[in-house]
Amino acid sequence: MIQVENLRKEFKKTVKEPGLKGSFKSLFRPKTERVVAVDDISFEVPKGEILGFIGPNGAGKSTVIKMLTGILTPTSGRCTINGKNPTVSRKSYVKEIGVVFGQRTQLWWDLPLRETYGVLKEIYEVDDKSYKERMAFLNETLDLESFISSPVRTLSLGQRMRADIAASLLHSPKVLFLDEPTIGLDVVVKDNIRRAIEQINRQEQTTVILTTHDLADIELLADRIVMIDKGRNVFDGSVGELKTRYGQIRELNFVTDSPDPKAALDYLRHFSIGEEDVSVKCEGSAVKVRFNSSAVPVSDILAYTLETVHVNDISVKDADIEEIIRRLYKQGVE
Amino acid sequence: MKHIRRLFRIHRIFVVQELKRMMEYKGDFIVGVIGFLMVQCSNLLFLWIIFNNIPNLLGWSLNEVVFIYGFSLIPKGIDHLFFDNLWAIGHFTVRKGDFDKYLTRPVNTLVHVLFEKLQIDALGELIMGIALVCVSLPQLQIEWSVFKVLLGIAAVFFATFIFTGIKIITASVAFWKKRSGNIIYMVYMFNDFAKYPVTIYNEVIKNLITYIIPFAFTAYFPALYLLTGENPLYNVGMTVLMSLALMSLGVFVWHRGIRAYESAGS
Repeated sequence: MIQVENLRKEFKKTVKEPGLKGSFKSLFRPKTERVVAVDDISFEVPKGEILGFIGPNGAGKSTVIKMLTGILTPTSGRCTINGKNPTVSRKSYVKEIGVVFGQRTQLWWDLPLRETYGVLKEIYEVDDKSYKERMAFLNETLDLESFISSPVRTLSLGQRMRADIAASLLHSPKVLFLDEPTIGLDVVVKDNIRRAIEQINRQEQTTVILTTHDLADIELLADRIVMIDKGRNVFDGSVGELKTRYGQIRELNFVTDSPDPKAALDYLRHFSIGEEDVSVKCEGSAVKVRFNSSAVPVSDILAYTLETVHVNDISVKDADIEEIIRRLYKQGVE
Repeated sequence: MKHIRRLFRIHRIFVVQELKRMMEYKGDFIVGVIGFLMVQCSNLLFLWIIFNNIPNLLGWSLNEVVFIYGFSLIPKGIDHLFFDNLWAIGHFTVRKGDFDKYLTRPVNTLVHVLFEKLQIDALGELIMGIALVCVSLPQLQIEWSVFKVLLGIAAVFFATFIFTGIKIITASVAFWKKRSGNIIYMVYMFNDFAKYPVTIYNEVIKNLITYIIPFAFTAYFPALYLLTGENPLYNVGMTVLMSLALMSLGVFVWHRGIRAYESAGS
């Protein structure tokens, strides 16, 4: 369905020295440098899959999405949907896709919502019969009826997001791009929107590419995750795989009054494991031990620790998806 | 043919949408038209004062000057009425990343941008232009023929696209420089020179508005042909040529610009 091959995007950035003087200098002799925002990203998405596309702020997510939606021209590499390429024939390419940017709207701001759908019908050349059926379907899935006659500027954020998703689906696209579709929404509306996305995906086999910072979206919707960082692809697999690959790392936290616990606790020799499986950090009396639970069982670590030093307070943290991702975002993938 | 029908259809849809939008804000719309009429009246007053003191301008009579002035407002007004959205491209659409919207729709981006907005204020200019031409005509001894009328209409049509072409080229600068509102403004303002007979200016300005920013072909040259019947090949032919050249260059620069478009972070 979607094929992304060696996608790369460089931006030219003007380097400015600080202050007014710097601004003047760059006005007359601008210094530019190349910034690589996306570096050699490849992945494929089969028909009907929901792909969670994640990464920390500034990782290049938006840049990738914008290349996939025909907004930005790749520096090199290419992406195709059903064999169509946006740099070759943008117009026929965008007919296959629907796009929602949570932070922007494509609705006609000053007019009743209904008018937007009327115009989009013409832009996408949807015939009258399909339009009627489509509106009925979208109405039912996204519950637009109560505000379809209100001017768009008066809609609440939740209503606007539903309206925007409906607008992106009017022409029955094969692929739906959702960039932060749940940003700023309350729990109930988030739930409604997730359910709608799931329903559309199930009923119409619409392929969905979803970027979000709300990991509940990912856990509830995504069949697969592609994670990028610093413009590179760092993980590609299911949520389960992410957990087994990175979820074995546990964290043992305790407070001790023993002097120099780091010297006393020799996990490396005691369990004869390597440095990649355990690390100890001390901050005053607080100690943090990060270890790989598949190399050493949690109970053994606990027992050895309690034997060796005097412990006041102890906890073992399990790695949930949020924790895994937080760690990956913070330190990158080793 | 199907292509052209679709263009007309899209244009109609957008125009209807714009009219509905204006009806949402009636007060604003009415004030806009009145404002423009007032600006045009003050311009006229200015002309009238000058000509009360100077009965002719380097051999141009008041009526001739009024005719050229009025003629200049017609293509300018038409461009202003239909294709004013280009200003927004230069000022904020590109800089804020709102241009993304056009790129995700299956319509040519330039067509979408041009058709999307309607600037009703421009009616003030257009009405004033037509009125000035109508007032000055009976006082001028012009020999009319069908050929001349047709050439006159063609001249207005192509002159309109001289304005549009220049705006497209200057607006496109925003794709590289993020904003180009001031560049559009600076270049566009040269059309003020073109409202008067070109012969009153020194060589620098004359050459500038004839060959570099060819606004002279939106008013003086075609109007000269209508007034005198002289040299249609140059006076109207160059209007057509300049118009086609500027539009072609505009379309070219625009599409190059889109490749350089960087959107904005979100």
